[in-house]
Amino acid sequence: MGLVAVNKVSFAMDESEILGIIGPNGAGKTTFINLVSGIIMPSDGKIEYKGEDITYAPAHERARKGIARTYQLIHPLENLSLIENIMVGSIFARGNSLKAARRKAEALCSELGLRDLDRDTSRLTILEVKKMEIARALANEPEVLFLDEVMAGLNADETKDLIATVQKIAKERKLAVGVVEHVMGVIRELTHRVIVLEAGELIAQGPYEEVSKNKRVIEAYLGGAA
Amino acid sequence: MNRSLARAIAIGAAALALILPLFAGDYPLQVARNVMMYMALAVTWDMLLRSGQISFGIAGLFGVGSYATILAVVRGGMPDWLSIPFAGLFSGLVAFLIGLVILRLRHTYFSIVTMALGEIFRIIIHNLHDFTGGPEGIVIQQGVMFGGKSSHLYWLALGGLAVALGASYWFDKSRFRFALTAIRNNETSAKSSGIDIFRWLLVTFVITSAIQGMIGGIFVQSYGFASPDSVFSADFTLLPMAMALLGGIHSTVGPILGGLLLGLVAEWLKLKIPYGHLVVYGVMIIVVILFMPNGLLGMARKAGKKAAGGQRDQA
Repeated sequence: MGLVAVNKVSFAMDESEILGIIGPNGAGKTTFINLVSGIIMPSDGKIEYKGEDITYAPAHERARKGIARTYQLIHPLENLSLIENIMVGSIFARGNSLKAARRKAEALCSELGLRDLDRDTSRLTILEVKKMEIARALANEPEVLFLDEVMAGLNADETKDLIATVQKIAKERKLAVGVVEHVMGVIRELTHRVIVLEAGELIAQGPYEEVSKNKRVIEAYLGGAA
Repeated sequence: MNRSLARAIAIGAAALALILPLFAGDYPLQVARNVMMYMALAVTWDMLLRSGQISFGIAGLFGVGSYATILAVVRGGMPDWLSIPFAGLFSGLVAFLIGLVILRLRHTYFSIVTMALGEIFRIIIHNLHDFTGGPEGIVIQQGVMFGGKSSHLYWLALGGLAVALGASYWFDKSRFRFALTAIRNNETSAKSSGIDIFRWLLVTFVITSAIQGMIGGIFVQSYGFASPDSVFSADFTLLPMAMALLGGIHSTVGPILGGLLLGLVAEWLKLKIPYGHLVVYGVMIIVVILFMPNGLLGMARKAGKKAAGGQRDQA
């Protein structure tokens, strides 16, 4: 039978809500995002989005339907410039012309504080790489955005900058944002609500303050009885 | 190199290419014809390469087009001029049907399958004796197109090259560049940005195969003869690859540059080592990939960057 990586995880997200997705390593957080965004297909079961069955819809279709996500390990498209990287979603998920895509990408960059747009992606600082990755996902003009450990590797100032950016984006675009993070400080500051995954199951949800005191959650992190 | 200089050179080269028959003799025109056909194959091979897929099936599609043309004329009575675009259409259709199946594969697996393609077509044609003329080949009774007039055959080949260059230029300026580059650099990211990878690969494969087939048609109309061994020869796969690699892949200019250099060398080689020239192309491919994977263009760009960087340091 094997290991069930994600088991009946179901929850609601509201527009402009930033939802934290936390849980110990191996809990199935990234797998969950991969399943929702269509990078992997489920072996069993169903995936529904806004009432529509998208279980077997390919990733590019889900991107067009309004689901976007960032990747933990960011590999920019090295033969496209910074702004061209961002234009891709605008062209293919939204069907914009090259010109329109460029304008929209420029607007995104200005919003996120990215400059020198024709730069080679090998010359970006780590904060710029993260912002570019978020911009790339936003270029899809999604309704739902999953950020997979986007704060990893940033120092305190950079983290503060990015937290403020994410909050602004969620609010202005009325986006539902799911944030996977390991740093609880970020979760506490950034999210309105949190869901906790353990061994593929959703074991708690609620505001961070509540959830962090939940016995089962604490056991999950500290390795209590299986 | 700035844009207006590049444009001026392109226009000058095009003008020169156009008027060449006015002062060149039959043999140089024949060499030029062959070089241009190989160049067109090199450019179209590069177009698919931009998606990250390496095709070893150029000869296959070229051969399919060749036979489509010659059979349409000899068995179907199709007029010469029509048989060439017909080759393109037919090869495109064949590529579509094959692509539906093999483009689910990527990279190494795709490449291996394309290698088999040429062989499969060659064997089919070899064995459909009565219809295709079998291993001895088939001759166009009324002779070569344009009565064999060098200048006209040259312009025919030039026309074929123009189509290939036009397509490559279009790929560079349109959303094709974004799609193919994204697919080549990071398929997962491409998917997440809404790119239907299979569809883009299929379209690219069909367009490039159609052009390769059309070039096959031009080839056969220039010589009036086709046989399985002549049109499915590994020449038509290896030399274009070597040309694109030498000149600089992922560009329109690279294959032309490589085509010019290698095309002339190839002509000379054919005279010196009539059966060994394929070895030279193979060795060249290996050497280029090992030591200058971005070809001459890549080296020129690097040198340019170094010069610019050096000047900045001194400022």
